[in-house]
Amino acid sequence: MSGGSLNRITTIARNTFLEALRQKFINVLVILAVALILSANFFRQFDFGSSELKFITDFGMGSILFFGSILSIVATAQLFFSEIENRTALTILAKPVYRWEFIAGKYLGIFALLTVFTMLMIGLLAGMLSWREGALMERYPDDFAEGRLVSYGGLFAYGVLELLRFGIIAAITMFIASFSNTNLYTVIVSFFVFVICQLQYVARDGWNDIGNPLLRGMVWVMALLFPNFQMFNVAELMIFPGEQTLAAASAWGIFGYGIVYIIAFNALAVLAFRGREI
Amino acid sequence: MSDAIEINGLTKDFRIGMRGYKLRAVEDLWLKIADNEIFGLLGPNGCGKSTTMKVILGLLEPTVGSCQIYGVPSTSVRSRRDVGFLPEAPYFYRYLSGRELVRFYAKMCGVPKDEIGDRTEDVLKLVAMDEAAHRRVGTYSKGMLQRIGIAQAVVHDPRLVILDEPTAGVDPIGSAAIADMIRSLKERKKTVLLCSHLLAQVEGICDRVGIMNRGKLVLEGSVDELLEKKDMRSLVVEHFPASAEAEVRAVLEKHGAKLASVEAPRISLDRLFLQQTRDSDQLHESEKEEA
Repeated sequence: MSGGSLNRITTIARNTFLEALRQKFINVLVILAVALILSANFFRQFDFGSSELKFITDFGMGSILFFGSILSIVATAQLFFSEIENRTALTILAKPVYRWEFIAGKYLGIFALLTVFTMLMIGLLAGMLSWREGALMERYPDDFAEGRLVSYGGLFAYGVLELLRFGIIAAITMFIASFSNTNLYTVIVSFFVFVICQLQYVARDGWNDIGNPLLRGMVWVMALLFPNFQMFNVAELMIFPGEQTLAAASAWGIFGYGIVYIIAFNALAVLAFRGREI
Repeated sequence: MSDAIEINGLTKDFRIGMRGYKLRAVEDLWLKIADNEIFGLLGPNGCGKSTTMKVILGLLEPTVGSCQIYGVPSTSVRSRRDVGFLPEAPYFYRYLSGRELVRFYAKMCGVPKDEIGDRTEDVLKLVAMDEAAHRRVGTYSKGMLQRIGIAQAVVHDPRLVILDEPTAGVDPIGSAAIADMIRSLKERKKTVLLCSHLLAQVEGICDRVGIMNRGKLVLEGSVDELLEKKDMRSLVVEHFPASAEAEVRAVLEKHGAKLASVEAPRISLDRLFLQQTRDSDQLHESEKEEA
């Protein structure tokens, strides 16, 4: 990649990120996510003891996944189609800019937005957990005889994996946007694909029971085409490393799996966008 | 030196609908535009002007034929290093200031970092937007948007500038200013391809014009060549007495010519408007100074 390319990609990425920060919908989404994580504070009224930390984590991670997925899909579709519909893409692509540079710049801008969102949420959740854990340690010292239950390093490491999951969703949305004509179509189809990816493990389980080799092959291809998001559901293993922990190799494996899908879907987006008439 | 634009037998078809119904937007177009020429591409809506422009800009690939910019195929990104483009009714990032916008496009064009500042100020002065460059683009009038659009089109010092309806929706004062800018681009040794519906303006600016209709180039040539009535001449006479008309007619008939008409020359409405608004502006300024 030439220095010129890098400069153009970062300029487009920076502009996309700044444009995202100005979108009211995105700001509302972030505020809602923050409010939901902070509302986990009300769990203390149920007096769960040390289990409260797991409730807060589940609730917080659920909120992050819910709002992060919406953000990944809607922000990608919105920021892509605003360029097409307002014809700013026409002005940019009439410059000596390759189409892959445009896609890469847009994607990196969106990924920067998702990074800020995820790290903000994880930071808030870490703050909440730390505060409650401190209070619970004083109240139930027996439960914490072996020290803190929450691994904050694990929490942030899990945040990175969650970010990669959002990165895959954004890359899928970018691919769909690269050939579709409307924002709405892109959002709807992307949500369907997201649900398929979330439930893909069901197909994987069923695959083992299929006798017909043709059908088995088809299911295998589908399972390869849609990333298995179930792989990313390792929050408890990483944040509460008790008897069961996630090996570092497994975490790196999930990381690599995410990166491969991000690159693959962005490459498909570039291929589809190359033939698109602006 | 190669031509600024060379289009050879360009045909562009679009596939429409599920059945792939073929719509021919441009058919067998041959066109050459020389370096440092102002060329006006004219035609009614839907005649294929925009498609031709998009092919020149590499945004569309020809179905048949080829297009080259200074000898480089327009399908290559490299060809666009020499091209600046102002789209019709340009929409820019509204939250950027005029200066930030020009800098953004300078970066897009690969202008070296240490030159971006100077180039930006230079083109802002060229389009007379240096005083409003700190304002957000969202607050600009249509005329200002077009001017900042021209600034972003020329910030990387391209040899060819393509302007799509640069005066659309702009008042006559703004149109006149843009026309002056186009002339100054020619003085800077640029080639300009201009698409416009304002035929009077095209006539006043362009060296050559081409008229397209239904995807085909139906007429092409220099403005003088196309508009001049070669078998007629007009005389503009000051203080012409009506009584002299019969004598003039007789003299002309003696030489085998015929006086076709006698009429008072008129200035264009555009020119009258500009004169009047400039006069009243000057009066307003002098009144302010006196006060």
